[in-house]
Amino acid sequence: MELLEMHGIVKSFPGVLANDRVDLFVRKGEIHALLGENGAGKSTLMNILYGLYIPEEGEVYWEGKRVAFTTPEEAIRNGIGMVHQHFMLVQKMTVLQNIILGLKPKGHPLLNVASVAAEIRELSEKYGLSVDPDAVVQTLSVGQQQRVEILKALYRGARLLILDEPTAVLTPQETTEFFKMLRTLRDEGQSVILISHRLSEIMQVSDRVTILRDGRSIGTVETVNTTLEELSRLMIGRELRTGGMDLPQADYEAAPLMEVKNLTLAGKDKKNRLEDITLNLYPGEVLGIAGVDGNGQRELAEVLACIEKSSEGQIVFRGDNIDNLGIRQRNRLGIAYIPDDRHRDGLVTNATLQDNLMLRLYNQSPYAHRGLLQFRQIEESSQQAVEHYNIKTPSISAVVRFLSGGNQQKIILARELEQNPSLVIACQPTRGLDIGASEYVRDRLVDCCREGGSVLLISTDLEEIRMMSHRIAVMYGGKVMGIVENNEDLKLETIGLMMGGKRLEEVDA
Amino acid sequence: MKKKLLKILPQIVIVLVVAALLVIMAGGNPLRAIKIFFQGTLGNLNGFMEIFVKATPLIFLGLGVSVSFRTGFFNIGAEGQLYMGAVAATATVFALPGLPGAVRIILATLAAFVTGGLWALIPAMLKRKMNISETVTTIMFNYIAIMIVGILVRGPLQDKSGALPQTPFIPDEASLPLLAYPTRLHLGVVLAIAAAILLYILLTKTTVGYELKIVGTSPRAAFCMGLPITRSLVISALLGGGLAGMAGMNEVLGVQHRLLEGISSGNGYTAVLVALLARNHPIGVVIVSVLLAAVQVGANTMQRQMGIPASIVNLLIGFIVVMVLSQDIVKIYREHKKAKELEVNQK
Repeated sequence: MELLEMHGIVKSFPGVLANDRVDLFVRKGEIHALLGENGAGKSTLMNILYGLYIPEEGEVYWEGKRVAFTTPEEAIRNGIGMVHQHFMLVQKMTVLQNIILGLKPKGHPLLNVASVAAEIRELSEKYGLSVDPDAVVQTLSVGQQQRVEILKALYRGARLLILDEPTAVLTPQETTEFFKMLRTLRDEGQSVILISHRLSEIMQVSDRVTILRDGRSIGTVETVNTTLEELSRLMIGRELRTGGMDLPQADYEAAPLMEVKNLTLAGKDKKNRLEDITLNLYPGEVLGIAGVDGNGQRELAEVLACIEKSSEGQIVFRGDNIDNLGIRQRNRLGIAYIPDDRHRDGLVTNATLQDNLMLRLYNQSPYAHRGLLQFRQIEESSQQAVEHYNIKTPSISAVVRFLSGGNQQKIILARELEQNPSLVIACQPTRGLDIGASEYVRDRLVDCCREGGSVLLISTDLEEIRMMSHRIAVMYGGKVMGIVENNEDLKLETIGLMMGGKRLEEVDA
Repeated sequence: MKKKLLKILPQIVIVLVVAALLVIMAGGNPLRAIKIFFQGTLGNLNGFMEIFVKATPLIFLGLGVSVSFRTGFFNIGAEGQLYMGAVAATATVFALPGLPGAVRIILATLAAFVTGGLWALIPAMLKRKMNISETVTTIMFNYIAIMIVGILVRGPLQDKSGALPQTPFIPDEASLPLLAYPTRLHLGVVLAIAAAILLYILLTKTTVGYELKIVGTSPRAAFCMGLPITRSLVISALLGGGLAGMAGMNEVLGVQHRLLEGISSGNGYTAVLVALLARNHPIGVVIVSVLLAAVQVGANTMQRQMGIPASIVNLLIGFIVVMVLSQDIVKIYREHKKAKELEVNQK
């Protein structure tokens, strides 16, 4: 008997059919991967199961009985647990307090701490989740916090765990640990739905895979009977581009385009947000900045674009010190900036496409003359950008908020790259985009190098960094752990250890 | 357009019904009230021109408030900026007795604009530099301005021939010329409409207007793209306060011909409603101001002839504002919900 059966689920949002007659069957005691690109409908399907959305059509059977959960609370009570990508933990509370939050554990209303702690220890031993119930959550590493989330679900009696992109926040080493734990869970009879778009991980850990594409279920396969290539074909409908991109040669003989020397950014408390960053960027080079999200990458980009002011150190661009130049002056020198939070920093989402394209050049000839906007030139240039960058929009006066993420990113690209910049600071340029749009963005960035520009590519997607960087710098805790050449000899393990906080010298030794 | 009209038709009906109920509650006959209302506004030249006399300060103030709102500067201080503009205009006229009237009017207008603008600039800078909420400071500055006027009309500027807290009349040649004697209509209305048109051009056709729009819509993105945030805020405060100051000049030089306490009686707050109802559009401000003024003039006639309190009009205006705003809130809520669902969906 199947543990969970979802038949012909249909759910639509304004303008999108997110789930179009999707089927999903999960057995007891298996790790079932749910594979699909961004926007394929994975999250929608899981939110329906978890009681967050009500489907328009379709039936859900849970342990043989027909169900239709209308709130997450109901789903939890029936033994379904979900671990979101962003953890729902109270940082200042202990593991135990987080786990029993909202419950009435034994002895209620008086809490029997010792017996609850014993219960939690027992659970964590059974499933190989070593967590100390008395530890305060904010002192735990990301990997440990994830285990707390899983424990929380298990303590509430979950028999099916839904894990949403669980490895996105982990280093390669932590991922290995995490998979070991998943297997233990399965061997103890738990069932797991693993939402992911990372093919290699799915091949490693899952028993079966259900593939979603454009809101439809393409099929379910046994992992042992399939290959990475087949999965990728099923997921995107064509072969994944393998290997690196066709990168132009970087000119390491020339003087560096940009030199960053001992850059430091003080934080609110004693801890520096950036500490002693030194790196050079050469003409024609793509320098990849790898690291787990939140280790100072964003701060580095913002200091270089002058959105934050550094506390110490120097930035030299084409031989001149630019520390005292403002945002606009740096942009005029040829520094383009693609921010990671495009809705907040990169776009005025309530303004029109045309207004957004003009953010950099609105007061420059030929778009302005004696303080008056020249609408004919602005419209012509916007129209050109829409064609050139293949932005899908009803018109140039469409409000940006209503365009898709990929098209929004293309607006930023069009604006930043049309000025032929010599340096592009690209912060998470493909986050949240589907594969087609991501490839497009990467191609445009590499085109910049081909025309003599350089790219500082900040990304948490290691595959992306490996695919298109000449050299890779790894950041951890606001510091650069080391800079390595990106060639066949480079081991993923080296990068992984640096992402976990080891310096390059320590890794080599 | 036709569709839009059809959409607001039920609201117009609701407003009329509520109005009729209020009149009945005040002991009047609604049909007669409507007749007198229209007689008072459209039925005679004096009443008709009075609409524009009353609309003029509302236009100046509404423009001032809407320009601030557009840049995300929530200026509730139009009342105080009006008072400071009135002080500056009066002082200028009395300080330059030798100059020809036209020159004094122009100088008084400039002085009113600059003073009103500076009065708004102080809260704007407090917001920018020290992050102090401008809604609080602008309201506080209203009281300060009103008190300054109180001191002046009891002290240095008081009319020595009487004991009332007011200045002497300004000379006729320094008053705004009348346009349709014997009605009170004066040049101010032309200046107000000209200001609206100029403002419209500034906001939609110039780089400065573009900056104001972007900074007002998304300050963070504007900052990240290198737009001059402080400059936009200064321009918005100077313009907004300056236009409100012009309303002060208009009251002194066009209507009262002297400075006195209570020269505005709350028009600076009504202007917030004007800006909201006009959705911060300059031409919309003109239309809304004229409509509101017409309602006020009609209500005054009703009070004179039927003894129905004119304040029921304020009640009605409040009702209309709540109705319009609640509609907006429903719309915003729906969009927010939709956006949120989409966001979850895209994850």
